[in-house]
Amino acid sequence: MNVTSPSADMGASSSRRARKGSWKDVAIANGSVVSIALFFIVVCVVFSLITGSFLTTPNLLNIVRQSAPLLIVAAAMTFVITTGGIDLSVGSVLALTATLSAVLLQAGLPWPLVVIAMLALGAAIGALQGFFIAYERIPAFIVTLAGLSVIRGVALLITGGYSIPVEPTSFFVNIGRAWFLGVPVPALLALAVLIVAYLAFNQTPFGRYVTGIGANAEAVRRAGVDTRFMTLFVYILSGMAAASAGIILAARLGSGSSNAGQGFELDVIAAVVLGGTSLFGGRGTIIGTVLGALTVAVIGNGLILAHMSPFLTPIVTGTIILVAIWLNFRLFKGAARSR
Amino acid sequence: MMSDGETYRVRMTGISKRYGPIQTLDDVSLNLKPGEVLGLVGDNGAGKSTLSKVLSGAVIPDSGTIEIDGKAVSFSSPADARAARVEMVYQDLSLCDTVDVAGNLFLGREPRRHVLGVPFLDNKRMHDETRNMLDRLGIVIADTRLKVENLSGGQRQSIAIGRAASFDPSVLIMDEPTAALAVAEVEAVLELIRAVSARGVSVILITHRLQDLFLVCDRIQVMYEGRNVAERRIGDTSIEEVVNLIVGRKFNARSARASRDEGVQP
Repeated sequence: MNVTSPSADMGASSSRRARKGSWKDVAIANGSVVSIALFFIVVCVVFSLITGSFLTTPNLLNIVRQSAPLLIVAAAMTFVITTGGIDLSVGSVLALTATLSAVLLQAGLPWPLVVIAMLALGAAIGALQGFFIAYERIPAFIVTLAGLSVIRGVALLITGGYSIPVEPTSFFVNIGRAWFLGVPVPALLALAVLIVAYLAFNQTPFGRYVTGIGANAEAVRRAGVDTRFMTLFVYILSGMAAASAGIILAARLGSGSSNAGQGFELDVIAAVVLGGTSLFGGRGTIIGTVLGALTVAVIGNGLILAHMSPFLTPIVTGTIILVAIWLNFRLFKGAARSR
Repeated sequence: MMSDGETYRVRMTGISKRYGPIQTLDDVSLNLKPGEVLGLVGDNGAGKSTLSKVLSGAVIPDSGTIEIDGKAVSFSSPADARAARVEMVYQDLSLCDTVDVAGNLFLGREPRRHVLGVPFLDNKRMHDETRNMLDRLGIVIADTRLKVENLSGGQRQSIAIGRAASFDPSVLIMDEPTAALAVAEVEAVLELIRAVSARGVSVILITHRLQDLFLVCDRIQVMYEGRNVAERRIGDTSIEEVVNLIVGRKFNARSARASRDEGVQP
């Protein structure tokens, strides 16, 4: 090969890259995670300085307890968005499972059965939407937008708009309220889900195909993978994640409300996108999603502790989303140019 | 043709395919020996892509027979063709840009290790085997963890070819592998084709770059409007003749004259 050829240059530059990357190479390759990590740290430092109570163990545990539903659903949403899809129905599924679990507990069903039934319901809703998306080729945005409307409607129809109480003596409420080894149970559940999601995303063939489908679905299909089932499966995951979020929420609040989780899907999508997962698919990171979700949670918590109007939360969150993605975009562009 | 008594790797005889009013393939034959590189040329719509798709199982012909190593086969899907060790490198390469080099080479057949019955990727084995595979084919890529989007066009093409070659094919079909590549990259891809055929793989090369044919092919088959019009051993023909055969009449192509003057002999 000629020395002055473009491919020889390319080979040379890639061998330069190959020296087992300095932290700078790693930072540029993971620009999206680095930028959200910086944001997360900045937000935490700012709130630690302006409020005395932010950086205390009870408050931090409170944040992870309250953000457990967000973390769980955002982990599943990372899979969905990485395939190039979207699931707008998660807030409605959360509301439906929260109300239905309260209704079923009132009807006297044992709590383990209720949990299993709700997870199965979430999976079934996900499978139905996934069928229209993967096999009937209707855009995910449209299918889940319809789902958002219909499922919320069903929840309202069941309750007539009222919230349904859960008996506080039921073991069920422990799912949302109990502490184990000094940590809230919802936080432990979220941690377990995140570990499984991380391993599945990065270390299994399934995670590889999810990324591949987002990058070039036809290539994955030609490689002999059942891409339609894989696509359907990520909606089953997000349905089940939304159902577990509904269960945790109903258990923590001690009631099931059909109005729960209004706008929840947007918080979830914000957390995932903030973490650096591309809405066009093919690029996703679970670590970024965790940082994104925690940033969204910390902003909400910190503004309240700082006695600022809670209505500032959406304004600050929205601004940070735009700025973080903008920085990330510049970082990536810079990396590409210097190469 | 058959009088020399050799067994052919591929014998396609009397292949016909009609799409509505258009007879895309009309009684076409194609023979290929082990380790031979055949250039398949013709104008757009001459039927070369359809013919290659018949052999790769993506198109089912209306009539005709296919024999591989003397055995009659009938392909109803690309999976059937792959089982008979016929591989095709598509023009769009079928690579996942955001997946690394090793991930693309092993897409759909990743080495796995089972932990508690759950399949995990065996990353170490995958990267080690990728390294071996690239070295064996002489493909220069420094790091198998690079994402494919960071590679040059020639390197991407090499990975697509390397992936097809790694299935241990007996027949490899390549559709326009050198289109849109820089000069040195074309050289690297042609070198790769020689390396693959030296290992006994029969190659069908579809290309519009006639100068490439003279660098790697043993034989050229020209198609015109769905029919075979000519077959030439590479030593017995010139780029000018091939151009005339492709366009189907005596055509004093300026490109052909220029190429001959510069000398295209291998």
